[in-house]
Amino acid sequence: MSALTFTLKSKPKFNLDMSPITSDKLQNLTLDKIKKLKLAYGKEKVSVDSLFTVNGSDKNTIIINKSCEQLICIGKDMSMGNITVKGNVGDFLGQLMKDGNITVNGNAGSWTGNGMSGGRINVKGNVLDYTGAGLPGDAFGMTNGLINITGDAGDRVGDRMRRGIIVIQGKSGDYCGSRIHAGTIIVLDKVGQRPGESMRRGTIILAKKPAHISSTFKSCGNLKMQFLRLLFTQLSKIDDDFLFFSKYGPVAHRFSGDLARNGKGEILILKTMNKR
Amino acid sequence: MKINGVEIVDTFAEAFPMKATRIIITAMTLKWAYQAANAIRGFASSVIACGIEADIERELKPSETPDGRPGISVMIFAMSIKELEKHVPTRVGQSVMTTATTACFSGLDGEQKVSMGKSLRFFGDGFQISKVINGKRFWRIPVMHGEFICEDTSGVTKAVGGGNFLVLAKTARQGLVACEKAVDEIQKLPGVITAFPGGVVGSGSKVGSKYGFLTASTNEAYCPTIKGQVKSELSDEVGSVLEIVIDGLNEESISEAMRVGIKAACSFGYSKGICSISAGNYGGSLGPHLFHLRKLLK
Repeated sequence: MSALTFTLKSKPKFNLDMSPITSDKLQNLTLDKIKKLKLAYGKEKVSVDSLFTVNGSDKNTIIINKSCEQLICIGKDMSMGNITVKGNVGDFLGQLMKDGNITVNGNAGSWTGNGMSGGRINVKGNVLDYTGAGLPGDAFGMTNGLINITGDAGDRVGDRMRRGIIVIQGKSGDYCGSRIHAGTIIVLDKVGQRPGESMRRGTIILAKKPAHISSTFKSCGNLKMQFLRLLFTQLSKIDDDFLFFSKYGPVAHRFSGDLARNGKGEILILKTMNKR
Repeated sequence: MKINGVEIVDTFAEAFPMKATRIIITAMTLKWAYQAANAIRGFASSVIACGIEADIERELKPSETPDGRPGISVMIFAMSIKELEKHVPTRVGQSVMTTATTACFSGLDGEQKVSMGKSLRFFGDGFQISKVINGKRFWRIPVMHGEFICEDTSGVTKAVGGGNFLVLAKTARQGLVACEKAVDEIQKLPGVITAFPGGVVGSGSKVGSKYGFLTASTNEAYCPTIKGQVKSELSDEVGSVLEIVIDGLNEESISEAMRVGIKAACSFGYSKGICSISAGNYGGSLGPHLFHLRKLLK
């Protein structure tokens, strides 16, 4: 069986809501019915085949070709299957996702992994703001799952996240890990201002020393953290994308905080590439 | 049936259903992992009075452990999940957590779970941290040596306990040498343990006693010093009987362990004082798992 492939005919003028295109929602539909599915396009609703060429039959493996920033809500609510995107995507990638895998070979917009509770998102490019964060009014951001960004991320990564792991292999913007309740954020390049602002619990792991840490974080000194050894070993075993974690050692400078808000979180600044 | 002149008695070993879990103990060095493993398996020879039966299964390379450090796999057996729930958290708490630089993980997946970090986290007095990695919950408990990392729960599986065979020898020394070799061979197999000290039982028991308060008492039919007083199973030449008791994850693993163990014991032969191999059973009333010695060795 070949993958169910959606190839964009031309770049849409308005935002196109791709949330109906997930393995769970397409499972009981024939190819003809899939082509006639209605997608929200700006203020209108248009059929899939007016914008995409559709072929293939494996509904558990969906490929979106020639994607662009107008395609929003890709993988929304999905609980199974794989979506591979070739090109950039818009906002709300993997919103409320419960399980499955999304891989984007390009950049993603804001709110990637918003409210996700399981599964994995790989963005082989950059993302804008609020990765893994909660919408205004939400109690929490992501509550489980794994987000892997190979490029840079914008501001407020993981804002109010409750659980899960976010890996930013490039740089992160300001307020990284702001207001997080728990969970783990790993940034392997530079981080912007005020990391961990108002964090309650959770862990922010930084491979490079930030220019500034708020005075509401207290130093606990340089320590060999057994947790880091466990985390890096487990991550390196997931797949080849994370094999590089086996190079990272467990020694880190630990800051506990934010003392202005419970203070049970931590920022761990790695002594990078320290072999075990 | 005879092997090297050693008679294999036409009888069977009788085993019973148990519940088992496997935990992985890691530490900075293998020496310290052994310290914890030896502590947790202490006083865990028999469910009769210890509540659980536990022993080291094998050493683990750093590549086999969750945190990439050297480790030891320990298997723990009990009659019910309730008993495991009673003993595992206390033993992990008192034997593993107290050993310097250790961490403790589950070595079994199973629908049923027994608490480890789930109970021990309270030792962190509010400073403990929960982390979910790859779908598994771990607890980070701040302790004086640094951090004690412990998985939330360990999986529990159905298992079989009480597989056994008896080595009937002319002297205790000859019997012990044969048993040591048998235990060495059994310990090379995965999924089985010999929980008694050194893997050998010096005082095998029967079910019940003339005293109402005892659930088990000496197996007088195999006691050489009173063979004139009781209905003995021993011939005149037998001066010592030692037992090897095997717990395993399933019938197949116990069968294989008994076969390997009996062959190792018989390798010394009749000329070196090994008279016969028998097995402990209670006429089929103790448990549903029967291991016929001659069938195993065919």
